[in-house]
Amino acid sequence: MTDFVLRLLRLDRRVIFLLIAVATLLPLLYPVSLPIRVSPEVQRVYDYMEKLPAGSLMLLSMDFEPGGKPELYPMAVALLRHAFQKNIKVLGMTLWPAGAGIAEIAFTEVAREKGKEKGVDYVFLGYAPGDASAVISMGQDFHAAFPADYYGTKTADIPLLQKVRSLRDMQYVMSLSVGFPGIDTWYVYGKEKYGFELGGGCTAVSAPRFYPLLDTGQINGLLGGLRGAAEYEVLLGVKGKAMAGMAAQSATHFVIIFLIIVCNALYFLTGQARGRQR
Amino acid sequence: MSAEVVIGAWVAVGLSLCMYSFLYKDNPFFKFGEHVFVGVSVGYLLTITYYQVMTNKLYIPMTQQGKRWLLVPAFLGLLLLARFIPSIAWLSRISFAFLLGISSGLAIPRQISSFILKQVEGTLKPLVTVGDGGVAWMTWAGLNALLVLIGVVSVLFYFFFSLEHTGTVRRIARVGIYFLMVSFGAAFGYTVMARMSLLIGRFDELMLYASASYGYATPVLLVAMIVGLWWWERGQERKT
Repeated sequence: MTDFVLRLLRLDRRVIFLLIAVATLLPLLYPVSLPIRVSPEVQRVYDYMEKLPAGSLMLLSMDFEPGGKPELYPMAVALLRHAFQKNIKVLGMTLWPAGAGIAEIAFTEVAREKGKEKGVDYVFLGYAPGDASAVISMGQDFHAAFPADYYGTKTADIPLLQKVRSLRDMQYVMSLSVGFPGIDTWYVYGKEKYGFELGGGCTAVSAPRFYPLLDTGQINGLLGGLRGAAEYEVLLGVKGKAMAGMAAQSATHFVIIFLIIVCNALYFLTGQARGRQR
Repeated sequence: MSAEVVIGAWVAVGLSLCMYSFLYKDNPFFKFGEHVFVGVSVGYLLTITYYQVMTNKLYIPMTQQGKRWLLVPAFLGLLLLARFIPSIAWLSRISFAFLLGISSGLAIPRQISSFILKQVEGTLKPLVTVGDGGVAWMTWAGLNALLVLIGVVSVLFYFFFSLEHTGTVRRIARVGIYFLMVSFGAAFGYTVMARMSLLIGRFDELMLYASASYGYATPVLLVAMIVGLWWWERGQERKT
């Protein structure tokens, strides 16, 4: 028995990879609906968006690159759907050079789905280089920070941007951030000085870092990881990519928890035997 | 489905499988994927920087909007490159001094205000609240505030090294360790969640590209990868 347990503890790690792969794949192939409870921080973002009157200006900064796509792209899609449903005008941009392509796809696809017109209902400005200085520059003179949009159209000629002078004109700013620059940059160099309301979305890795900002009201809400995106989809009543992924997430978590408990129990149970082998 | 979309799907699937092949062991497919990633990233970054910074922020404003003063930051930027020529490397210090001065001036007051003063304000919340209904001694909000206060103070004690950690100081520092352990646990839990989300995202796309409309990219390339790994493994065995 002890030999068997010891052999189990020396199991090839590739077996664990395989278990995780199966636990991820099965719920994606055979979707299971699990209940998703909406957390207060996600509810606050949704409620704030709900209260914004039609025609309000929202800036969605998609501060991520392909590495953050699985978690942050569903958030962007859900937020854009909500904004377009409420006839909120959206300005899109990114502080990450590799994020422009993904962000542009999100804007184009959701705008097409909701029948929104470029330049009138939304504008995609593309990548703003300079991290903090980009935010400061947008606060001082929006048109100087973005002389042209992502497609090369002069921002002075875009109808939606005719009345936009600075970040002070934004009713809401959301940063979907995979790291720095991201939510911190928007808070430190933007909200503090220009006084707009700020919400955040982030990868699960960085979520614990932003809870103190939530507690002090520095950000009004937070969407953390794929779960945050799924909660937003629940509020919207739309079954999107995030909700589809939650069953797989639960299954993999279950496997990991099971393995941690079993391996620890076996490790302590075989303490003496391991000592003898040494 | 347009040809470029299908080609894109095949490239995405091929490179994803190359990267995942590392889970089996380090192999030429993984190395190929790794090198392609580094090359493409640098190329993409250079192109974006050229168009978004050099063209949009420098060339167009200077030539079409008459902003000649942009020559000054452009010149400072060029001075940074002086580091590569040892005889004039000292010139780059001018630009570094400028960058350092500007960034410190911008960052220090903002960071202190945002992450120290505001956070201290958030830590010092009233434990007892007085409202229309009288004095509320122990509410959930009060309990949270108390926990935050105990956590902050005890962790600060743990990182206070000017006093020997004995007696009361040791006991308070010990409480700090428990708070730190809980925070590390939460951070690790979130990290696992994030990594699994990445896996789910990748699998989701691999499943999408497994369909007929993408030319069965995933199953075809998966089989090709397995055969390739088997062939490479045989080659390795022969060598040994």
